Amino acid sequence: MHARLSAVALVGLEAHRVDVECSTGQGLPGLRLVGLPDAAVRESADRVRAAFHRLRLPWPEGKVVVNLAPAQLRKVGGGFDLSIAVAILAATGVVPAGAVVGLTAIGELGLDGLVRPVPGMLPLVAAAARLGAERVAVPLRGSAESALVHGVRLLAVDDLGQLVAVLRDGLRPEQPVAPAPVEHSDGLDLSDVRGQELGRRAVELAAAGGHHLLLAGPPGCGKTLLAQRLPGLLPPLALDDALESAAVLSAAGERDPDAPLDLRPPFRAPHHSTSAAGLLGGGSGIPRPGAISCAHHGVLFLDELLEIPRHVLDGLREPLEGGTVALTRAAGTVRYPARVQLVAATNPCPCGDLGRDDRTCRCRPDQVTRYRGRLSGPLLDRIDLQVELERVPAATLVELPAGEATDVVAARVRVARAVALERDGGLTSQVRWAVLRRAVGVDAQRRVARVADALGWSARGVERCMRVARTIADLDDSAGVSDAHVDEAAGYRLAVPA
Amino acid sequence: MSVWDAVAAEGTRPQQLADTVALLSDAVGRAALRAAAQDPDGTLPLEVAPPQPSSGQRAAAQEAARVWQGLGVRVALAGDPAWPSVIDRVPGPPALLAWRGPDRLPPGPAVAVVGARRATPYGTGVAAWLAQAAAEAGVTVVSGGARGIDAAAHGASARHGTVVVLGCGHDVPYPQEHARAGGLFDRVLDGGGAIVSELLPGTPPRPGAVRSRNRIVAGLADAVVVVEGREGSGALVTAGVAADAGIEVLAVPGDVRAPGSAAPHLLLREGAAVCADPSDLLAALSVTGGPGAHGERGADTVSVLPPKVLTELRQRWPRPVRASALASAAGLTLPETMACIVRGRVAGEVAEGPEGVRLRRAP
Repeated sequence: MHARLSAVALVGLEAHRVDVECSTGQGLPGLRLVGLPDAAVRESADRVRAAFHRLRLPWPEGKVVVNLAPAQLRKVGGGFDLSIAVAILAATGVVPAGAVVGLTAIGELGLDGLVRPVPGMLPLVAAAARLGAERVAVPLRGSAESALVHGVRLLAVDDLGQLVAVLRDGLRPEQPVAPAPVEHSDGLDLSDVRGQELGRRAVELAAAGGHHLLLAGPPGCGKTLLAQRLPGLLPPLALDDALESAAVLSAAGERDPDAPLDLRPPFRAPHHSTSAAGLLGGGSGIPRPGAISCAHHGVLFLDELLEIPRHVLDGLREPLEGGTVALTRAAGTVRYPARVQLVAATNPCPCGDLGRDDRTCRCRPDQVTRYRGRLSGPLLDRIDLQVELERVPAATLVELPAGEATDVVAARVRVARAVALERDGGLTSQVRWAVLRRAVGVDAQRRVARVADALGWSARGVERCMRVARTIADLDDSAGVSDAHVDEAAGYRLAVPA
Repeated sequence: MSVWDAVAAEGTRPQQLADTVALLSDAVGRAALRAAAQDPDGTLPLEVAPPQPSSGQRAAAQEAARVWQGLGVRVALAGDPAWPSVIDRVPGPPALLAWRGPDRLPPGPAVAVVGARRATPYGTGVAAWLAQAAAEAGVTVVSGGARGIDAAAHGASARHGTVVVLGCGHDVPYPQEHARAGGLFDRVLDGGGAIVSELLPGTPPRPGAVRSRNRIVAGLADAVVVVEGREGSGALVTAGVAADAGIEVLAVPGDVRAPGSAAPHLLLREGAAVCADPSDLLAALSVTGGPGAHGERGADTVSVLPPKVLTELRQRWPRPVRASALASAAGLTLPETMACIVRGRVAGEVAEGPEGVRLRRAP
């Protein structure tokens, strides 16, 4: 007897259709799994068998061969259990062969037949829908995530017995419903940041133009405070973007499948001791997404930028440019989306006391130069906004009134982004050079050129200044970019020590 | 027998070099020695052969002369027409000086502005102020080529022609940011200044070499001003040599709690003159003040900065001011302040560093 249904294998976020075939016949009793299964898939045989036993489902008498095709694709994880079990049931006639046509099954089996969700339910179900599945059998637990996918009928079941009832007896399980998307609030408000006007202005500009941001300043000056408040200033994610972000988190196993879709841009702050694999993605077998992909469509905050090893930082360049990270391993290349807004923070000098009124910096000028020299180069070239923050003394901090609240600033940001989007069709930090030049205008370009000549900038510096100047003008509700806008934009660069 | 063979055989430390030069000039006369010194392959008509160098030593010495030629370095031996005889005042004067720049080192009054590498904005501000005022009054500024005070002094007066004294060979790029193309050294040469070293090419900047360099700084100057320095600073060596040679020593008072004030305060305690203004310096040199010597300059020139910003920057000078502090003092918004700082930088009025902005010129 023979039966076939579908399953889905994820390689990164790229989905491949897997045909699960079962054939029963003469031979020594036993279950043989073929088709390049990894250890977890091979263990599936024991789980399936235990579940059959527990649910008193008939186990075929002769030899059972289950094939996962295509054979050259490595099958990883426990998500094939359900499809293997259904294939065996169909091959032995427990469920009619017609009932598994056009069926895709995804889920891990417990020894008692319980169906458990696996990491990546969202991209798996989305892929099944894309690959033409009519019905997808998924675990009931965590089915809210599967329900985010439209255009496919879900058979959400709690255990294997229930699925048998559905397929054999035509029971119609209730369609799971995804809870409405929410904008989860982290309770962090920009009004918590007192003083620090420069930093607040920089964060506002970063939000309005989508610019990468570098905050340099002594420990305790509020770099982290400012960075954490950037997601709150950004407009909520579009539904498609939120789904993309959720898919990465789901594949990384970092998403609660029952949680509603979060429209707040994600925020990730990996520690500076993070490895290249942790930041960019990696690991044995199929590389897992790193922090940069988990922050897709959101903010990646790198504190102590200069403590991060050089080779790890260098790996950031490609994703910052292209919005994806390609992890090439011997077995193949995996791509994860990685469109992030980078916020980096660093001390002003090795000892951290440079520019403090109450303490003297203990670094030699050449140490400071070398320290800051590590900042320069290709990565810094991609950071449009760079500001030097100073520490606000505690006594002053107490006296200062609360700053503008997130709501107020976010409203301005929303308007500026809308204006830029309508004019240029994209964020000011990302539009193409030709579009940018048109948006900035000839007079402002001349002013940028003059400033660049006087201050000795490279072509990269000119481009960055133009982008920031355009954002300043947008926040200023100004159609054209004035000299004052350019002059202000030119100030957002780290000074090199004399 | 090449002069370089002899140098290589005897050693290249300043004292060994002096001995070699004395020995050779006794043997062949100064003119022949000078001619031979300019030519890597030049031979000396020596009757008594000095110790024979090994082939490696010979190659190294000839290479040194080639490097000098390639860099356009002029070499003068003690007593040559181009030799700056003032240098002979210091104990243990150099036997030779090699310099890039003009045919002769600038004559006339000179002041050494020296101090710490690890300088504060206050120190670099004062050094720049003094150096610029001195240069505008026609005084040549002499200093080492180090970062910090040295660099600030040269940076402020490079276009008037200063003298940089290196603590390493001419071909050793140290400090890197000064020696690279378009760096401080290039600006000094473009301004008609000279870069001097008594050391052979390839000599690295060892602490000893840098300290012995300081006696040349003192020797080339008519007054030495110490701006900042910690205990045991190299600037004290310069001042000590100067005092021994009867060269006037001045010191700029600093913050009493700052470690960088130790050297100038020690000198003041020992009787150095106070230098609180360029006029103190010019008086010590008996030079009448140039345009930058007194406080009024800048007040009547047109500034691109708003008056309140200018006032605040003047009051805080030479200490730098942060943009946010400037904004609140001048009653401007931060964006306005950022813009006017950039305008000031483009106009060359203000300089920006990690600690904030300040006026380039003394108010």
